[in-house]
Amino acid sequence: MSNAENKVSYIGLIKNGIFAENPIFRVALSLCPAVAVTSGVKNGFMMGLAVLFVQVMVNVTTSVVRKFIHPKVRIPSYMFIIATWVTVTDLSMAAYVRDVYAQMGLYIKLIVAFAIILSRAELFASKHKVTPSFFDGLGMGIGFLFALVIIGFFRELLGKGSLWGYPIVNTKPLLIMILPTGGFFAVGILMGLFNWIDMKFFGGGGASGGGH
Amino acid sequence: MEFGRLFELFIAASLINNFVFTRYLGLCIFFGVTKKMDTAIGMSVTFTSVMVISAALNWIIYKFIMIPLGLGFLEIVIFIGVVAGFVQAADTIMKKVSPGLYYKLGIYLALITTNCIILAVPLLNAGEGYNFIQSMVFGLGSGIGFSLAMIIMASIREKLELADVPKSFQGLPISFIITGLIALAFLGFSGLITL
Amino acid sequence: MADIKKEHELLVSVSPHIKSEETTSRIMWTVNLSLFPALLMGLYFFGPKALFITALCIISALLSERIFQKVLKKKPTVNDGSAFLTGLLLGMNLPPSLWSFNPFMIHVPIIGSVIAIVITKQFFGGLGYNIFNPALIGRAFLLISFPKAMTIWTTPTAAFFALDAKTTATPLGILKEEGIGKLIEAFGDKVNLYTQLLIGHRAGSIGETSVIALLIGAAFLLYKRYITWHIPFSFLGTAALLAWVFGGKNLETGKMLLFAGDPIVHLLSGGLILGAFFMATDYVTCPTVRKGQIVFGIGCGALTMLIRIKGGYPEGVMFAILLMNCFAPLIDRAMKSNVFGAVKEKKK
Repeated sequence: MSNAENKVSYIGLIKNGIFAENPIFRVALSLCPAVAVTSGVKNGFMMGLAVLFVQVMVNVTTSVVRKFIHPKVRIPSYMFIIATWVTVTDLSMAAYVRDVYAQMGLYIKLIVAFAIILSRAELFASKHKVTPSFFDGLGMGIGFLFALVIIGFFRELLGKGSLWGYPIVNTKPLLIMILPTGGFFAVGILMGLFNWIDMKFFGGGGASGGGH
Repeated sequence: MEFGRLFELFIAASLINNFVFTRYLGLCIFFGVTKKMDTAIGMSVTFTSVMVISAALNWIIYKFIMIPLGLGFLEIVIFIGVVAGFVQAADTIMKKVSPGLYYKLGIYLALITTNCIILAVPLLNAGEGYNFIQSMVFGLGSGIGFSLAMIIMASIREKLELADVPKSFQGLPISFIITGLIALAFLGFSGLITL
Repeated sequence: MADIKKEHELLVSVSPHIKSEETTSRIMWTVNLSLFPALLMGLYFFGPKALFITALCIISALLSERIFQKVLKKKPTVNDGSAFLTGLLLGMNLPPSLWSFNPFMIHVPIIGSVIAIVITKQFFGGLGYNIFNPALIGRAFLLISFPKAMTIWTTPTAAFFALDAKTTATPLGILKEEGIGKLIEAFGDKVNLYTQLLIGHRAGSIGETSVIALLIGAAFLLYKRYITWHIPFSFLGTAALLAWVFGGKNLETGKMLLFAGDPIVHLLSGGLILGAFFMATDYVTCPTVRKGQIVFGIGCGALTMLIRIKGGYPEGVMFAILLMNCFAPLIDRAMKSNVFGAVKEKKK
């Protein structure tokens, strides 16, 4: 975090989440959903929304309670906060968006194990006030959403010839793209392109760390 | 007959529905620890044992505590609590009982809690309604499948160290492409067993 | 940009498998040459459309290699024959009837070549570094992407648009769905079945059908010592043994009948000969140690028969070789010296 505690630009925080520290393309955390749910734009968007919601709520909650949590039990406490909000999301989605939930219920539940959420809570929200934490969560969530929608866009267009479920072309140009194999190819190639654009036009160092 | 069904469950969990190649889970750890063979092997051993024990533990808790009390909806909170608690306990016990082993495998234990597979197995076990033995076999199959994936990946990445990969594709992008290619090869196993 | 280029120039020369530019390209062109008898037989049986498909594969393979190297400002290696070989092998592995029923499928071979050259080979740093056999990845990609077009087979006929060609199943398809009896019936008698399979007068991919022509090419490569016996013979031996033991079927119950399979039919049909001599032996994607090569061959044979007998596809050679490609670095690692890793891994 280059921003000092007292002077945080909210727009900067959001931009940071989308570009500089994009959870998927740059920081490379929480990769599983990037492949798992992006066989279509709609699923990717819904997953992104769910993560956005959880990330914002977790950040806010963590920030509110940061003074009351003993440092020694902070990780279990964060896990508990995350698990609670994931349960809320899981049950609401099961109730309101049944068709989407039927396809990706398991992955919604697994948001709880996403490293990105825990790491933002630990790295940012536990050290900042409520408002900046909110915007940091928003930025990270939007960055996540953005990445999932882009990957979903390519995979659905190539694999099913449709977007958001509406047919664009009559055939299925490359069926493989909606299978796991195609998902890995799509993420790998998009990541490479992201690096290439970054190196070519912004003079970045390329190759991201490869998280845990 | 029961044994045959268990064997099929094992093959399905380890090869056909391999967690990495067809269910896309555990990717963070999969890419994180496969830079070197030694870490991949260390992780495999730790992971498989934690997987089997946590499958068993979570099954008991699900069956005898959560279902009678009607707490099914809290499965996420409870399962992750059980896994975290168990890993913490294993960490402490290992440090006391066998410091040598702890020195080798301790760091992997810390990573395991945030792994999605470790949580996915009890969730799938609960969802599919497997019995105790089936849950453990499923956990074992998933663990071995994940280990196999990690060891293959580590050997390929070691070989690739000398290769002249285009700069923007070095690191994760090429790893994703390798995984995609392995997943393509693993499609050959599809249809082997119909469960 | 400058420093990247320098790095490339440095790395090109350290490749472990290639002694010099000269010998690599000579080996590659010799392998190309040795495939020609089989290709000619394929063209004779399936006509000009087979030539068109193969040519399209080769041209797009050469072009994609050239364009990629141009974009990355790498030294051009188009003339070393390896891209030509990839295109040729891909073409020989495609069904000749690819667009008999839909002329718009013209992009299919091109996509296959691009996947083979760019993703499987160039992304990994070019010849010498690829983990998987490029032509086989190209074909697997196409099989999954275009499941219908890639599994329509026709009877051998020389017509270009093949309006007169009848769709039929491959011998392995008949064997899997209807059993050996039906297969013999389709070819008249057993002797006729064997001779037709040997000559290659049957439905199948362009270059895989003519066993005799493939064997001539393979004998030439063995004589020139460009390939050794280790992989092909362990591959074919394992496949034949397993076909004999597990390949039989009780016609009434449909259950497996032990020691009653017909290994000859299994050896002569599908892509087994083409795969064993020309694709499993690819220097870069197989183990370098002799002992490892035997393990590799046995693995290929076992996986081929596993997929043929129990799996979801009638033919398993392609997936078997690709799966063993995954394991090749591991086999090398375990066989080169007694690494701790090799022991530990068995313990599990």
